[in-house]
Amino acid sequence: MSSSLQTSEYLLLFRGAGWEKNLSPQELQTLMAQWVSWYEGLQRQGKVKGSNPLFPQGKIVSGKKGKVVADGPFAESKEAIGGYFLIEASSLDEAIEIARGWPILDVGAEVEVRPVAAACPVFFELDPSACQRLPEAAAAGARV
Amino acid sequence: MRESNAPTRAVSEVTERLFRQESGRLVATLTRLFGVERLGLAEDVVQDALIRALTTWPFHGVPDNPAAWITQTAKNLALDVVRRDANFRTKEAEIAAGLERMAADAEAGARDASEHDIRDDRLRMMFACCHPVIAEELQVALALKTLCGFSASEIARAFLTNDATIAKRLTRAKHRIREAGVAFEIPAGDELDARLDAVLHTLYLLFNEGYKASSGDSLVRAELCHEAIRLATLLAGHPAGDQPRTHALLALMLLNAARLSARADVDGTLLRLQDQDRSRWDGAVIARGMMHLARSAAGAELSNLHLQAAIAACHCAAPDYASTDWPRILGLYDRLVELDPSPVVALNRAVAVANVHGPQAGIDAIAAGLEGYYLYYAVLGELEARLGRLDVAAGHFRRAAGLTSLTSEQAFLTRRLQECEARAAVRSI
Repeated sequence: MSSSLQTSEYLLLFRGAGWEKNLSPQELQTLMAQWVSWYEGLQRQGKVKGSNPLFPQGKIVSGKKGKVVADGPFAESKEAIGGYFLIEASSLDEAIEIARGWPILDVGAEVEVRPVAAACPVFFELDPSACQRLPEAAAAGARV
Repeated sequence: MRESNAPTRAVSEVTERLFRQESGRLVATLTRLFGVERLGLAEDVVQDALIRALTTWPFHGVPDNPAAWITQTAKNLALDVVRRDANFRTKEAEIAAGLERMAADAEAGARDASEHDIRDDRLRMMFACCHPVIAEELQVALALKTLCGFSASEIARAFLTNDATIAKRLTRAKHRIREAGVAFEIPAGDELDARLDAVLHTLYLLFNEGYKASSGDSLVRAELCHEAIRLATLLAGHPAGDQPRTHALLALMLLNAARLSARADVDGTLLRLQDQDRSRWDGAVIARGMMHLARSAAGAELSNLHLQAAIAACHCAAPDYASTDWPRILGLYDRLVELDPSPVVALNRAVAVANVHGPQAGIDAIAAGLEGYYLYYAVLGELEARLGRLDVAAGHFRRAAGLTSLTSEQAFLTRRLQECEARAAVRSI
């Protein structure tokens, strides 16, 4: 299914909280080193287009005209996003393969892989065959 | 956003134990600033700072001065804590000033004055952890946690126990510190002597835990030896700890640690002293050990640490097993037995006796009281084998193998057992 996606960019969203709590300084350092090496490896292959960590504090704005401003997402939740990488990949499968290399998976964090919709949605209206693939494309997010 | 082609400091340049070492330094300094009763808070702040490093560096690259980055982050986190916590209201300005200084020192790098401050904080922590009001097993766990930056589960692995047991010990130790009002200071005057003995004893236990092959994860154990040496070096370099017996302890550790890597073969099976490849002994570490042994002789004092260090030095000085100066080693054991008449010392002395006066004299010199100890049977097996009583020897090796759970020791003992049986079989043909 992934080959049908009209994109070569994927967002890796690093999710999860609490996995780091009981790690020792040595274990934290080892994970840091593995994560940095992984990143640098991707960089050398020209796969990385950008990346940033996210501060844990944030607000959720909702309601008409944004009347409701609430705390969240909660930094300690499993859904909390700690950062993202924007990568270049030829398919969703390749993006998933790349995500599998994230060393922090081993200690219980998750990474969400999302294809970046590169083309304007109108594109799909003009291309009926692409239209048929649309539900697939929409459902093509993956979690590793 | 980090540019994908931005140059970064190579992660390989980060010192192998950076996080652990920074943890030890920062916990000590923050404990001085927060007060020793808030030791747990200091640990939490440092842990958070290290987590920040883990979750930030992969995105922005490893900073030019990683240690200063961690210190600065710990300072900011500590300031937040101090401002939020009403308990600190009256001390806020003072703590903030201390934190500023800590961060400035880290930024400036290893300046003499700041290095001294950091060293002093770590020594204060050492004396606090090893305070006699805290039970021995709690002291060792606490020192490993606060001074060496080990986690409860790493300590548990080293001591072959579970995380919960160690977590309980750590909680009890901190509770004792609060309850007994242990001061965060380097003792002076009359108090120093006894308190220094307590610290040396804890460091000795720490080293032994790492050195003895009978328990725990081998990597963690090597780290325990390394940490014990590091802390003893720190202690020996400070006027309060610069005593002959501190140098004796350091010599003892170094002269044993230098031979650690030669103790087992490639399969991890233990090797006897006579079977070890002495070219694998670490000459630089031996030289350091000999230097401290010389400095340990500065006074009239002759502690059991001095004697143990001198025995280790005899082994290190022998280019091969055949040239070991056994009469001198026996002389040292004779004196050690006077100071410490334990069956374990007697067993070690028996090996020296056997090498000077023959295996039968060695067997006669073994004291009772070690019947549950695998080395008791291992030594008996060796000496009986030398006497040619192979069946008796085989029986001892079999019992010894049944008393140890460590693979490397079992492999060694099984091999000795098989050698005895093979020799006995050849003889009966």
